[in-house]
Amino acid sequence: MIEDYLKGNLTAAEAEAFEQLRTNDPVIDHKVVAHKAFLETLTQYGKVMSLKQQMDQAHAQMDVAAMAEKMRPHPSFIVNMWRNNKSAVAIAASFLLLTIFAVISIDHNSRQNGTYEVMRREISNIKNNQNKLVRTLNSTGPAPKTSRGPSGLAKFGGSGFALTANGYLCTNYHVIRDADSIYVQKNGESFKVKVAYFDAQYDIAILKIIDNSFTPLSNLPYKLKKNGVGMGEDVYTLGFPKDDAVLGEGYVSSKTGHNGDTTQYQVSIPINPGNSGGAVFDNFGNIVGMITAKENQVEGAAFAVKSKHILEALNAIPSDSLGKKVAFSKKNPLQGLNRTKQIDKIQDFVYMIKVYN
Amino acid sequence: MSNKLSSSVPTDREVVLGILNNSEDALNRLYTGYFPMILQFIMNNNGDEDDAKDVYQEAIIVLYNKIRSGDFELSSKLKTYIYSVCRRIWLKKLSQQSKKTTNLSELDDVVAVEVDLEQHEEKELQFEKMGSALINLGEPCKTIIQDFYIHNLSMQDICEKFGYTNTDNVKTQKYKCLQRLKKLFFQS
Repeated sequence: MIEDYLKGNLTAAEAEAFEQLRTNDPVIDHKVVAHKAFLETLTQYGKVMSLKQQMDQAHAQMDVAAMAEKMRPHPSFIVNMWRNNKSAVAIAASFLLLTIFAVISIDHNSRQNGTYEVMRREISNIKNNQNKLVRTLNSTGPAPKTSRGPSGLAKFGGSGFALTANGYLCTNYHVIRDADSIYVQKNGESFKVKVAYFDAQYDIAILKIIDNSFTPLSNLPYKLKKNGVGMGEDVYTLGFPKDDAVLGEGYVSSKTGHNGDTTQYQVSIPINPGNSGGAVFDNFGNIVGMITAKENQVEGAAFAVKSKHILEALNAIPSDSLGKKVAFSKKNPLQGLNRTKQIDKIQDFVYMIKVYN
Repeated sequence: MSNKLSSSVPTDREVVLGILNNSEDALNRLYTGYFPMILQFIMNNNGDEDDAKDVYQEAIIVLYNKIRSGDFELSSKLKTYIYSVCRRIWLKKLSQQSKKTTNLSELDDVVAVEVDLEQHEEKELQFEKMGSALINLGEPCKTIIQDFYIHNLSMQDICEKFGYTNTDNVKTQKYKCLQRLKKLFFQS
């Protein structure tokens, strides 16, 4: 009965009567409601079942296995990451590319300047090299014996050695360049000199003592070597990186100088400002070169102009102004002596150069 | 993969209308349209194809009911809705199995589907109860009830189908079956 009512099978009059019954009798009313609910559940069940059926049909249409294969989390973590984050990766990649381009263009622009700078620096390095070996004198040192010494401090200091017994000395051109006056000093005595000859290219200057208080020296114990020496030749120098003579020892480390300069040797002697112009001796009493410069960025590389160029410079001076021809004795008084004894003899012939300007 | 499907995936409007009209075609297209997305999601989160099928079908049922009850607002995209529902269902399943969940990407938009899912779960319960009650009913009651209430066959049809002499007998039989069903249903 209830069902008929619910389904609308009752006539209008019957329906009305039934409704009356419902309002009067709560029990019946409850039954009606319950039944209605139940039927709804039942039909819902049916609907869902049919929906499921439909879905299963649709499901069967898809090739699920193939899809599953494609989508299965790839064993490689990286591939999974890639799949999941494609857009993020794309953004990251384009950002990276952009940055790289930016950096490259900036770098390209600045690199040219960099190169240019470097060259400048190198040149000034060479300049520095040469200047550095000319020592800036800080102290006055002992008062010269003769009061001929100028008042005030010498600006630069270097080394030099005697070429003749009558007062010709050899040093570097760069030591005496720009000098107003030059003095040489040995054993506390200073003598004024003038520049007799110079060669800027080989960095050689030949000085002449013009001081009346100068007495000629005895015969030179050494001579200038005409030929070259080989690598490995043991050599030493006496110079004035300080106010007293300093011995420096080493060997010829290369037959060429800075950047393959064939006019110089490279020697391994530790060199300091003030050593410029010092003679480089071998063990047999020969002067093989003259200390000129040192390589700044390299350990233990000093340069000495080859002795043959000193000889050439000497020969360039007109012989009458030179006076007595340079007497290099045929005998070699230093040969056979040990280092200490050799130095002992040589010391009389090396001078400190003082430059004033 | 998504290129191929986008042509056949129905628009949200199509789906809603189709479901309201009981269109089988609409349902088919809806079903096949979004399944791959869910398949991928499930498989990337400790599930297999069967899990995906179960979860997906549950979600479709939720959507179906929602549309038919007139509740569904087209404010959110269907895709988002389906995804959100599946996500919730799967999370729940996983926590029940106490499997470790990998970090589910929070990047995808998730629509609040809590309410819908609660309703759905109640309905699920009813559904299960009814299902088991029907099974326990046995024959011929089960078929009579199904035919009458679900397939909406007339008394006459059932009479003929089962070989009853007249419709009154069928009615009585049906009434008895229904009572039994009710008993079973409310018992479980």
